[in-house]
Amino acid sequence: MDVIVDKKAIKEIFVFITEYAIQEGNYMSIIVRVEDLVKYYGSGENLVKAVDHTSLELERGKFTAIAGRSGSGKSTLLHLLGGLDRPDSGKVIIENQDIYSFKDDRLAKFRREKIGFIFQDYNLIPSLNIWENVVLPLGLDNRRVVKEEAEHILDKLGLSDKKKVMPNTLSGGQKQRTAIARALITNPAVILADEPTGNLDSQTGLEVMHLLKQCVSEFGQTLVMITHDEMISQMADVVIVIEDGKVVNRS
Amino acid sequence: MKMVTNIAFSNAKYYRSKSILTGAAVFLAAFLLFIVPTIGKDMVDAEYAMVNDTFPQYHACYMDVDSDKVNALSAHNDIGSWGLSCYAGSVLMTLPLSENAMENVKPDMIYMDENGAALSKAELSEGRLPTGENEIVVSKADLNLFGLEGEIGDTVTLSYQIYRGGGLDYRQEHNFVISGFLKQEERGMILVSKQFLEASVPAEEIRYQFLFQVAGVEHAMTDDVEDTISRIAEQFAIPEADVAVNTPYLESNYIDPSFLWIVIVIMLIVVFAAVLTIYSIYYVSLEQQVQEFGRLKAIGATNKQIRQIVLREGLLVAVCAVPIGLLFGTLMTKLLLFLLVNMMEGNLLTEVRIKEIIAGHRIPFYHWWIYGLTVVVTFITVYISLLKSMHMAEKIPAVSAMRFQGNARTPAGVRNGYADLTIWRLAKNNILSNRRKSLTTILSMSMTGIFIMIVASVLSCTNPEQMVNENFNGQYEIVLDTVEGDKEHPKWAWEEVRKNNPLNDEFLQEIRDMDGVENVEAFSRVDIGGGIFDPEEPHYISGIPESFADELEKGITKGRATYEDIKSGDKVVLDQTFFYWYPDLKVNVGDTFTFTVYDGDHEYERELEIIAIGDFRQGLSGGNCLIMAKEGADGLCTDNINRRVYVYADQDYDEKLENKLNEIIYERSKGLLDMRTRRSEYEFDKSSMHFINSVCFIFLGVLGAICIMNLINTMISSVNTRRKVFGMMQAVGMSDKQLRKMLFSEGLFYTLGTLLISIGAGSILGYGAFLWAKHNYILDIRTFSYPWIMALVVTVVMIFVQIFLVLMLGKSLKKESVIDRVRFYE
Repeated sequence: MDVIVDKKAIKEIFVFITEYAIQEGNYMSIIVRVEDLVKYYGSGENLVKAVDHTSLELERGKFTAIAGRSGSGKSTLLHLLGGLDRPDSGKVIIENQDIYSFKDDRLAKFRREKIGFIFQDYNLIPSLNIWENVVLPLGLDNRRVVKEEAEHILDKLGLSDKKKVMPNTLSGGQKQRTAIARALITNPAVILADEPTGNLDSQTGLEVMHLLKQCVSEFGQTLVMITHDEMISQMADVVIVIEDGKVVNRS
Repeated sequence: MKMVTNIAFSNAKYYRSKSILTGAAVFLAAFLLFIVPTIGKDMVDAEYAMVNDTFPQYHACYMDVDSDKVNALSAHNDIGSWGLSCYAGSVLMTLPLSENAMENVKPDMIYMDENGAALSKAELSEGRLPTGENEIVVSKADLNLFGLEGEIGDTVTLSYQIYRGGGLDYRQEHNFVISGFLKQEERGMILVSKQFLEASVPAEEIRYQFLFQVAGVEHAMTDDVEDTISRIAEQFAIPEADVAVNTPYLESNYIDPSFLWIVIVIMLIVVFAAVLTIYSIYYVSLEQQVQEFGRLKAIGATNKQIRQIVLREGLLVAVCAVPIGLLFGTLMTKLLLFLLVNMMEGNLLTEVRIKEIIAGHRIPFYHWWIYGLTVVVTFITVYISLLKSMHMAEKIPAVSAMRFQGNARTPAGVRNGYADLTIWRLAKNNILSNRRKSLTTILSMSMTGIFIMIVASVLSCTNPEQMVNENFNGQYEIVLDTVEGDKEHPKWAWEEVRKNNPLNDEFLQEIRDMDGVENVEAFSRVDIGGGIFDPEEPHYISGIPESFADELEKGITKGRATYEDIKSGDKVVLDQTFFYWYPDLKVNVGDTFTFTVYDGDHEYERELEIIAIGDFRQGLSGGNCLIMAKEGADGLCTDNINRRVYVYADQDYDEKLENKLNEIIYERSKGLLDMRTRRSEYEFDKSSMHFINSVCFIFLGVLGAICIMNLINTMISSVNTRRKVFGMMQAVGMSDKQLRKMLFSEGLFYTLGTLLISIGAGSILGYGAFLWAKHNYILDIRTFSYPWIMALVVTVVMIFVQIFLVLMLGKSLKKESVIDRVRFYE
């Protein structure tokens, strides 16, 4: 894959993100707190305890990896962290706000302002070009696009010449970089990534990981990532291991 | 093939919304295809039953036929049963008249042989037909009317006039023995014997009416029977004027092609609307099944099997929907019939009888062949609707199983896009990236919308108020009703009445002086012949009063004429209805023709120049083709030729004034004057239009409902195919409110697109339909009235349906969490 990593440009982006974080006054504090979270699916013999009375805390600016076997409940936990689903009970508190006390529309607004998502299968909107996919969260927030900032992000992610291109003509790596750009465009407090390298070859996956890691380590961006990959887990500041919906290890 | 049926069945279950909507469209189509011919047939049957009850049963009657011709005709191969009838004279009322009797009501004295009586429906309640010279058959009601009483065998004295030498002879009086009674309702006729006829009328003057039924015409078309009747008349040199076809009876017992055509056209419209809707539903929904058909292809399904899956899926839905449509139609038939019958004004005897026939269940309401026809036509409709989708499904390549990602037409390559995104832009982007689907939906819905607007345009032009205005002036109309050729009452003939016309200045002044009367206007009539018309046909010139000068001048479409110009008596204005009735005749402005003017008991030639052609109300022209100023028309005749008088009152209706007018008419007219009120005309027109409007709007409503299924399907399909996209958008922050707004914007595009085409093209074509209806004098349409109410109803209904849909779809999306949509709708 032909990813050009312009370290200087990336540094500029993360300086900006870090400054924002410092202004918020929560630098290096607890950004996400999960209290006794429960999410079950099915009933009776088919009951699946996807998240079972889980509590944990995530620090601002850290890269946290959530690991676990397939079906252990790590994806459900990530989705609950991001407000994509509603728990049966328990709380998710992000920047001191209990996100499940919000009604759906308020939660959606919170999501677009505070959380950036990166999915394994990119989840780009097929009918929008790359530029439109990236600036979509701003549009949904009724914010005008600051062209220079958006172009800066695209430039740093090596997508400057792909702005008008439709997603289905891009490679997997390019699509995932577009998804990263989309996650960064609103300067979110937390980036949640659901196995972002799962569909990528090892070389491209590594490049993408370096990019994300830089965000966290250099500029204090909080990154929570699900992974099966042992190597990627080793890149994380914190590794949380989930089994049968419970945190069984934190290192 | 069992597997194919199983897959089709599973698809029908899995794509529930599509199946429900298709089912709803098929159900409504089946309902309309059933109810339209059923109600039509029932109404026609009821009318025919009424006709059969009331009207004579001969197919035609050759008049003025002598004995030799009777013998020849009776031997003709195409003549079935036949009978004779002959007018012998008229009975005069014996004074004092009973309360209900009018002076000029005179029962006919008619000879009928046994077949003639049967074919004429001159049924006896008791006794037998007259045979002796002094025997008669009369109805008890008529006997009562003469002020007489009697039973069979009793002798009664009657005054009568024999028809001789082309008119009624002087009064005679004789004793007659009652040999039988006609049924109570048979009024206005006395049957006499052949002996009486031959004794009273000279043999050389006896002219029969030859009543007959054409042989071997069961289940024949009315037109064919009429052709046979004309052919026989031609063979026997019977002039066309002497052939009287019993049209009501023929239409009631034989198939009327025009009725068939009306039903066929309505059914075709339903089929067309249903085909468009079902086609569009399947076309739009196919997008959801592309990957599925790709997979089936990948594991070895043949094109034929794919086609069959689509077809059987549709037919399975139809198998469920058609019986429901038939059941609903069956349940609604009685209800609608009673509803429609109750909408009838009910004043006319025929309407009362029709009501009685339907209320008394005297006709079968349900017809097995309509059930069969509905099933066949509906299934053909579904088959036609599915043809394109079948073809498209078989063209889906196997690779779609892997490649297809939910959007049938995922745009590839480069697109300029927007620098900033808004909800509206997102909606617009979706519409434009699915241009073909969007256009299919809009165009198919618009077709029905256009049809609704065309019908609504015509109906909106049929204002009962306007219909009355078309034919009526002022609030009350008084017309002369003269009787020609009666020797006993020669003064009732027009040529006599005009010498002492009751519509004279004194009469008019007396009306003018009544309380509540503002003005009285009289129209005169000049009898003419020849010129531009057939010399044998009677025609008239309308003499219009000066107060109509402005209207006359405004109505002129060709040439120039002022009221002053047509005062001279040698210039006329031609009403353009002339060209409708005589399309082959060429008449131009400036042409002069020589007409025969019938001025009482003498006639003379007069050259009249047509100085202009115009388009006039019947209230002005009186239904005559030639118009002249009253002064000019009156100048052509020596007598008072007033025929119509209009009374303008200060109130639209005043019972006291009506009574006063009735009194003066009774005093002056001796039965020669008739009066109509604007109010009664309006009520009649209103009732008729209410009936027509109700029938049409029920039909259009159901047709509209079929079309709405299309919008519902497109919206549902559009949401179903994009559940993942919506999930992705919501994952990055789109709120439910924004999602609803986006769906509403998309729906608005369909709604506005459909409304724009329906109302735009519908209005233009509706205006065309108005011009056509006006040209053909349909429902007295004269002025265009835009169907605002229908346009508003269509707009409101579509917007309401769309808002409802968006709310429902938004609610259905909320049932799934964002992540479920992102994960599971691959």
